[in-house]
Amino acid sequence: MKELWKLKYSDIKKGLNSGEFTPTELIQSLISRIEAEDPKIKAFLSWEKESILKAAAESTERRKSGKPLSEFDGIPIGVKDNICIENTITSCASKILENYRSPFHATAIEKLLAKGFVLIPRANMDEFAMGSSTENSAYQVTKNPFDTTRIPGGSSGGSAAAVAASFVPIALGSDTGGSVRQPASLCGIYGLKPTYGTVSRYGLVAYASSLDQIGPLSKDIDGIIDVYSVISGKDQRDATSKNIPAFDPSKVKELPWKGLKIGKMKITSEIEPDIAKAYESLLAELESKGAQLVDLDFSLLSNSIPIYYIIATAECSSNLSRFDGIRFGQRKDPSGKLEDLYVTSRSEGFGKEVQRRILLGTFSLSAGYYDAYYGRAQKARVLIKKEYEGYFSKVDLILQPTSPTTAFKVGEKTSDPIQMYKADILTTSVNLAGVPAMSVPIGTDSKGLPIGLQITAPSLHEDRIFGFAKMISDWASKVQLPEAIK
Amino acid sequence: MNLNEESLQKIAELSRLKIDPKDIQNFLTDFNKVLNYVDTITELNVSSVSDEELYPNEGNSLRADKAEEGLSRSQIESFAPSFQNGYFVVPKVIET
Repeated sequence: MKELWKLKYSDIKKGLNSGEFTPTELIQSLISRIEAEDPKIKAFLSWEKESILKAAAESTERRKSGKPLSEFDGIPIGVKDNICIENTITSCASKILENYRSPFHATAIEKLLAKGFVLIPRANMDEFAMGSSTENSAYQVTKNPFDTTRIPGGSSGGSAAAVAASFVPIALGSDTGGSVRQPASLCGIYGLKPTYGTVSRYGLVAYASSLDQIGPLSKDIDGIIDVYSVISGKDQRDATSKNIPAFDPSKVKELPWKGLKIGKMKITSEIEPDIAKAYESLLAELESKGAQLVDLDFSLLSNSIPIYYIIATAECSSNLSRFDGIRFGQRKDPSGKLEDLYVTSRSEGFGKEVQRRILLGTFSLSAGYYDAYYGRAQKARVLIKKEYEGYFSKVDLILQPTSPTTAFKVGEKTSDPIQMYKADILTTSVNLAGVPAMSVPIGTDSKGLPIGLQITAPSLHEDRIFGFAKMISDWASKVQLPEAIK
Repeated sequence: MNLNEESLQKIAELSRLKIDPKDIQNFLTDFNKVLNYVDTITELNVSSVSDEELYPNEGNSLRADKAEEGLSRSQIESFAPSFQNGYFVVPKVIET
């Protein structure tokens, strides 16, 4: 069998469209790879081989008869376990939704299916997307394909590891405070958090509604552009969806180096030295090509994590109140009393981190504390948005490392919630401001672990991020995904 | 600020959660660590933010008030923990 699993997204697309191989041959190669290597990685919670093969066979048939649904027909895509697929378990890696089969498709899924993508669910994640290491899954810890003693990042760690381990060329994740970009960075791949409101959240199980956004993770930039152009666009079923058409990939153009204004950050002690070195050396090269570097003061953004945790947990305590053991999910009814049913179903169904966030949210919304915490955080969020508007009046793009560290060891930060929260220190402000940002691999540290660069643009300027990412693709190609998983 | 055990239990009650008594001290320690961390925002000066900026009028996102087909009873039954004759079953709440 040809080792098609090694191919990047763009080579897969080319091979399918030229007839070099069929969707079935491709899927069979990926299935062999998953069966051989996923026991070491644990990227998937479960997967239904028969239905995946059936979808691939249907795609093969369409291509054979000359009627593919689109140029993407037959491309496999991993799906995070919090994005609803009809008649497929969507557990959010939580015990409370252990047996929940969604009765409908998320809008993003409907759009992918209409183009012929072959879905590969269910990628592992931190429970209800709460975490930065995929150690909060109720079922299993996903490992980093570069070093299986380390975490893949979170909360879309299953999706990121599945791409980095070459189980799928591309996957969907969701990003609330960095949950696509941070694992993309730690796994040496691309990961996009689009402008808030450009991808429908219908069918994405809500964590913090004003921050959540579905985003793609891919081995190459073309995969990100293609999938974003398929899943974006106005959706009547999501009131927060922006009234704009889907992203037009023909808008992506390389930018002129000369005069390109790039906002940079001052390296702090929180950034690991190897990451600082990779970042500074990239900036120096950009400057030598004619880009103009502008120092930005990110001091207000240092408050992002506290602001994020107040807002996100307030929204989570409200969103997760629907899991009460009555309408769906797991039900525990020890005494036959309604109150006990709620309390026991929730206490046994939710893991510790989820419970901690529900409690913090309930606290900040409670009488006496609302003004000091939630009300103030909402106002501070406005300041963050204004701060970004100020930056983008001076620069075209902002470049920062995506994560302050490379992949850390499994268990290293689980005992200290603050250390874990700090893994998202460079990504959360982007969600508070609603602007788009993408992580691009730019090198590895002395241990061979990937380093990611975060590219941030003004709202609705994904084209600028993509154009720039193409311009620095030589840097990205320095990071080779591992073939042998050790 | 720091919450004491009694306040934490009150918040848990409002959240419909029960913290296992053997975990309460660890939970309280971790919760207070997080609370102290987010507490820094109480020192932020946010007085420059006006109500208009806080609640910008971006217009309502409305759609036609038209009936559309929803989930069928059998679909609901397939994911409901306890469902009989078209109703979710709940424990008795009214004493007779």
